[in-house]
Amino acid sequence: MLLAGLWSLAVLVIAGVALTLYFSRAAEARFDRGLAEQIDNLSAGVGVDVDGAIIAPSLADTRTLRGFSGKYWSIAEPTREGRLREIVRSVSLVDAAPLPPPPGGVRALALHPGVTQFYSAEGPDNQRLRVGALQVRLPRRVDPVVLLAAEDSGPLSVDTRRFAIVTVITLVALGAGLMLAVLLQVRLGLQPLFALRREVAAVRRGKAERLEGDYPVELSPLAGELNALVAHNQEVVERQRTHVGNLAHALKTPLSVMLTEAGQQPGKLSEVVTRQAEVMRGQVDHHLRRARAAARAQSLGERTAVAPVLDELARTLEKIFRNKGVVIDWRAPDDLYFQGEKQDLLEIVGNVMENAGKWCTGRIRVVATPISEERLQIVVEDDGPGISPDQRGEMLRRGARLDENAPGSGLGLSIVDDLARAYGGSVSLGEASLRGLSVNLELPRVSD
Amino acid sequence: MRILVVEDDADIARQLKLALADAGYAVDHAPDGEEAQFLGDTEPYDAIVLDLGLPKIDGVSVLERWRRDGITTPVLILTARDAWSQKVAGFDAGADDYLTKPFHTEELLARLRALLRRSAGHASPNLTCGGLRLDPRAARASVNGEPLRLTSLEYRLLHYLMMHQARVISRTELVEHLYDQDFDRDSNTVEVFIGRLRKKIGPDRIETARGLGYRIVPLEGETSEP
Repeated sequence: MLLAGLWSLAVLVIAGVALTLYFSRAAEARFDRGLAEQIDNLSAGVGVDVDGAIIAPSLADTRTLRGFSGKYWSIAEPTREGRLREIVRSVSLVDAAPLPPPPGGVRALALHPGVTQFYSAEGPDNQRLRVGALQVRLPRRVDPVVLLAAEDSGPLSVDTRRFAIVTVITLVALGAGLMLAVLLQVRLGLQPLFALRREVAAVRRGKAERLEGDYPVELSPLAGELNALVAHNQEVVERQRTHVGNLAHALKTPLSVMLTEAGQQPGKLSEVVTRQAEVMRGQVDHHLRRARAAARAQSLGERTAVAPVLDELARTLEKIFRNKGVVIDWRAPDDLYFQGEKQDLLEIVGNVMENAGKWCTGRIRVVATPISEERLQIVVEDDGPGISPDQRGEMLRRGARLDENAPGSGLGLSIVDDLARAYGGSVSLGEASLRGLSVNLELPRVSD
Repeated sequence: MRILVVEDDADIARQLKLALADAGYAVDHAPDGEEAQFLGDTEPYDAIVLDLGLPKIDGVSVLERWRRDGITTPVLILTARDAWSQKVAGFDAGADDYLTKPFHTEELLARLRALLRRSAGHASPNLTCGGLRLDPRAARASVNGEPLRLTSLEYRLLHYLMMHQARVISRTELVEHLYDQDFDRDSNTVEVFIGRLRKKIGPDRIETARGLGYRIVPLEGETSEP
């Protein structure tokens, strides 16, 4: 659009300059024709007496009789020094300096006999003169004479300037009109594309599941393809998740059999099998979860209400830790939405809350709050022993165990970190107001 | 003590039977959902170990049907499915505990013992208010037979309201009974929990006495039995 604007601007400028130039040339040519006519009149009216002296012509033009009227003539003869010596002049010239020869001097006139030379010169009364000069030979006279006619070209340049101004005004108006038309056309013509872009953005942000707009014939196939792409994307994510789940199930059952069987037999072989099977179990857990995390966050257009997820997790975890009598107090506004899939929010917050359940002495507090249009925060606090600041970094690392004897491992939090990052979120650890550990999750939010 | 093991993998089933028999339990085995459904409905088990990925009928469906049929036997889900969405679904279907494979036999036995101990807890009379029913022994509540899904704070609140059906209970009193002594005692939190409870049991079952507090009431047309 900018390009189109610049292009029309350039064309308009060129057109303006060309028009003005052409006008000034044409005006000058017309002016010169007037001078040539006057020279013709001079040539017809001039006479020579028997002695060879010049008889001044009597011209009808009254302007040549009025002093400094702007219209002048003179008849001169070239001297041997290459100058012009005036023989007779029009009354209008009064006592002004004689009309000057052309820039090429007298020789230029002699070189082109019969051709009128036109040129500009200073005149009386600060007038800018246009002069025509012609060298002729008169009957009964040996030496040639030069006929000069001049006229004030002031009105000519005034005309030219006026024309240029009008041209510029007209062209500027035309340019502005053109730009407006281009702008309008782009706005109106691309309106459906803008609408399409807004809808695609809404799908990406999770505010819509698919494109719903009514598009013109040219665009509706594109909208259809985009919808198909979104659907395909969701399908692929779902399929990957199912595959990964099946793989997990398929690997874990044989592992379980091996572990139990080996645990019941004494001897070196069963020790090795047990140890290696435990390593495999850890690896399977770790890599399968990572694979699931990779399959996530790719899906478009999902949003999940936070409050129901916290409610489900609170109920579930209170049952898991029923023997300990854990009480979970959760708070979340009803209209707070996570941008992503429910399964993933369950996984992220579930692991953090389970970790809190393992370490707490009886209380867990979960508070979800919006922190901006695009981010939300979930803080999970427990009343357990907490951990020191330098141990906190260790907590998030893969498989790190802070206390070999404590139930579970740091693995839960490293998975949380992976998942949160897959969503462009973050996990940080701090000290809880309940005296235990506080885990702060920052996740993407969908706001209406 | 009689335990039903529902497991389609022959090796795991054999190991479970062995371990449970060693621990002194009588064990029955069902290899698929259909048989599990039948055995659970007809035999008086003390506990059930249930796999989720089963042939014929899925484990979660089996559990839901048992609970609908009024079978309250404690159920421990033993599965390789370790996603939180699956755990939530299992507990919501009526599970009492959840253990993921691979597992340690000792842990399974310890959890089973805990389940059995809890289900043998002291019996106390059920509380009712119209269609609302609360079983303090199992810590479960239902509306018109539909089980309610409550967090423990919501359950505590409902329990207290139902124990004192006759009178209006002030916010201060509710806060005192809702929380242990060192919880923050902000009386606004009571409103939050009353709001959530109303969403789950129906808005008209809790009456607000402006400036005084709350009272639980039967719906119009329902008879309130003591």
